[in-house]
Amino acid sequence: MADSEAVIETKKLVKTFGKTKALDGFDLTVRAGEVHGFLGPNGAGKSTTIRVLLGLLKVTGGVARLFGEDPWKNADMLHARLAYVPGDVSFWPNLTGGEIIDVLGRLRGGLDEARRKRLLERFDLDPTKKFRTYSKGNRQKVALVAALASDVELYILDEPTSGLDPLMEQVFQEEIRALKVAGKTVLLSSHILSEAEALCDRVTIIRDGKTVGVYTLAELQAEHANLESLFLSKYEEK
Amino acid sequence: MRGLWTMIRLILRRDRIKLPLWIGGFIFFLVAMIPLLQEVYGEEESLATMYATFGANPAGLFMTGPMDGPTFGAFMTVETLLWWGLAIAFLNTLFVVRHTRHNEEIGAQELLLSGRVHRMSSVTAALVVAGMVNAIIAVGIGVGFSLVNAPWEVAQSWLYALAMGAFGLVWAAIAVVVVQLVESGRSANGILAGLIGTGFLLRGVGDFLGKIDASGIHQPEWMSYMTPFGWLQATRPLTESIWSPLLISIGFVIVAVGIASLLIAHRDVGAGLLPSRRGRARASRLRQTLLGLTLYLQKNIFIGWFVGVLVMVGTIGSLVPQMSDIFSQSDSMRQLVESIGGTGALIPSFMSAMMAIVCLMVFAYAIHGLSRLRSEEANGYLENMLATKVRRLKWLGLHVGVVVTGGLMMLATTGLVLALCVNSSADFRVGMGEYILAGLSYVPIMLVFVALYLMLIGLLPRIASGLTWLYFGFVAFALWLGPIVQLDRAVMNLSVMEHVAAPPAEEIVWRPLVIITIIAVGIGVAGIALFRRRDIG
Repeated sequence: MADSEAVIETKKLVKTFGKTKALDGFDLTVRAGEVHGFLGPNGAGKSTTIRVLLGLLKVTGGVARLFGEDPWKNADMLHARLAYVPGDVSFWPNLTGGEIIDVLGRLRGGLDEARRKRLLERFDLDPTKKFRTYSKGNRQKVALVAALASDVELYILDEPTSGLDPLMEQVFQEEIRALKVAGKTVLLSSHILSEAEALCDRVTIIRDGKTVGVYTLAELQAEHANLESLFLSKYEEK
Repeated sequence: MRGLWTMIRLILRRDRIKLPLWIGGFIFFLVAMIPLLQEVYGEEESLATMYATFGANPAGLFMTGPMDGPTFGAFMTVETLLWWGLAIAFLNTLFVVRHTRHNEEIGAQELLLSGRVHRMSSVTAALVVAGMVNAIIAVGIGVGFSLVNAPWEVAQSWLYALAMGAFGLVWAAIAVVVVQLVESGRSANGILAGLIGTGFLLRGVGDFLGKIDASGIHQPEWMSYMTPFGWLQATRPLTESIWSPLLISIGFVIVAVGIASLLIAHRDVGAGLLPSRRGRARASRLRQTLLGLTLYLQKNIFIGWFVGVLVMVGTIGSLVPQMSDIFSQSDSMRQLVESIGGTGALIPSFMSAMMAIVCLMVFAYAIHGLSRLRSEEANGYLENMLATKVRRLKWLGLHVGVVVTGGLMMLATTGLVLALCVNSSADFRVGMGEYILAGLSYVPIMLVFVALYLMLIGLLPRIASGLTWLYFGFVAFALWLGPIVQLDRAVMNLSVMEHVAAPPAEEIVWRPLVIITIIAVGIGVAGIALFRRRDIG
């Protein structure tokens, strides 16, 4: 393995669906203890990458490694060490938010009661409502509380805040910083560039299933005014 | 009303496949029953026997209503009117909920109403299309009943048709009111199913308590007329021909639609008039386990089918005392039962035939339960589960295990209840163990359906349920009608049920059961292997 402390590593990753090439030789390295931003336009392959890393999709070519192991083969063991927030949050409509948090926490190997309670308060979420009655933002909060209440090594977050209000966005950022202080690793896929800029140590930009570049925050700030100008310049160049 | 036409077209577009199938199937199978029933029960003496039996059988009164005389029209009425009424009631309520409350629940209504459309247009459109559907069904029945060679008048055919259509419309109108009350489509469907069931039962009680009046006609008690089922039945379409109850139905529709429009005018879009209940803040200990969650997801499917099987078995069991009479007097009845699989002694033959039919329900349960596998995946819930420690194999295995266990319970219960019914009312005794074993002898057949579904979920997940139901339909067709339509032997052999004995009348033959089980397990394991290797989503 090239990078010994890599929590996530993909090398020349290829995933095709019929004739469509969703990933076309994509490289990604996420080191232990970093908050890694995962940026790219819609349909670039972010969610596909995450679903490969979760062992939901089988790779067509190349290598994917999660904690140094094959995510397809050892999915269940590896999943005890991570928590996931999906992009489209869909759960059983007839269970309450509280029940869903408990079920997912337990299936993941247990959740921290104190954290669960604190997160419900901080995110101002009513756990007694049936899932189908929640708004978009509240649905995301259910998934976020379920994930963040678990004490795991890696958090994979797929556009976790697109429906949150600015106040909740602040709470989210504080929680991610707390994870970082605790030495956890975070893969954060996001379209909210200010959020990525505020939280990430490094970012990987993906386009058309290929890596456009990997940047540290320091590099970024030296060469570009902000992440948005980098992002736009990288997307627009052919 | 602005936007009405667009809304109507939207409904027709969304249901362009479902509606023609529903309508065509409903008309075709109802009309096709006439010559089949005539062939088996058409003779005067079997009609006389049926009439005598129905008069003396409280269970028959309860389930099908009274038979008005020893005529084929009266027999056709008890065989079809209420049960097809049940079908058209569900057809209408499911349809209305789908195009009103369900739209609101998923947020589509909000988007539609943000256009230049009247706020009543979607409910009106659903009612208009429901009206069209019921009208087409009525015309189809009217034409079919008039053209088929049956001993009733053309006017009677049309009364039957209009009574059925009006009955359907009544339930559409009830559904339009109910969807104003609750926030979710699922709750609305639950309440409506409850109302339909209550209506059916209330009518049954009314018939049960009813008396035969001076002119020899059975008159139900007042509670029958509290329900739309009572109004449907009161037309007595193929016998006495009473047109006035149609007016009650039409009046009811007008009042119900009026109430619904008042309710719509006074409520928020997306809200219900009844408050939605608060749920639990914590998941129970059991539900936090994968098994507990699987049980929760499978619970309602199991309960629904289990109740259905119990009602069916109970009804069959209650007929035992009357069975000997009918058999001893009707050759054609005997032939029918023998063609389905029964041979030899009369009651065991009947039990064999009935057991095969109840087992079909259990197989349907198994397919319905397993179809949850695909819906969990398609809805995106599976992705969230598999992102935890849950393994694919365990997830799949628990669902299959719960469904198969549920099926085993139903099959064993079927045997047990039938044995109890025979022992409590016939003049001889049968072994409980023998009957339970007879029910369980259908386990390998159930495993075939399970295996087929598993193979398809591994190979062609999108159409797994559809193809499995298709094979189920074929097996049911071969069992019910294969002998009557004289289906080719080679075709019949494609039905797995043709290769096993029909206990308790026949001895269980173990060899084919063992072979079928081995094949099923092989196919099932191969399907699971394929599922483990494919992409999720």
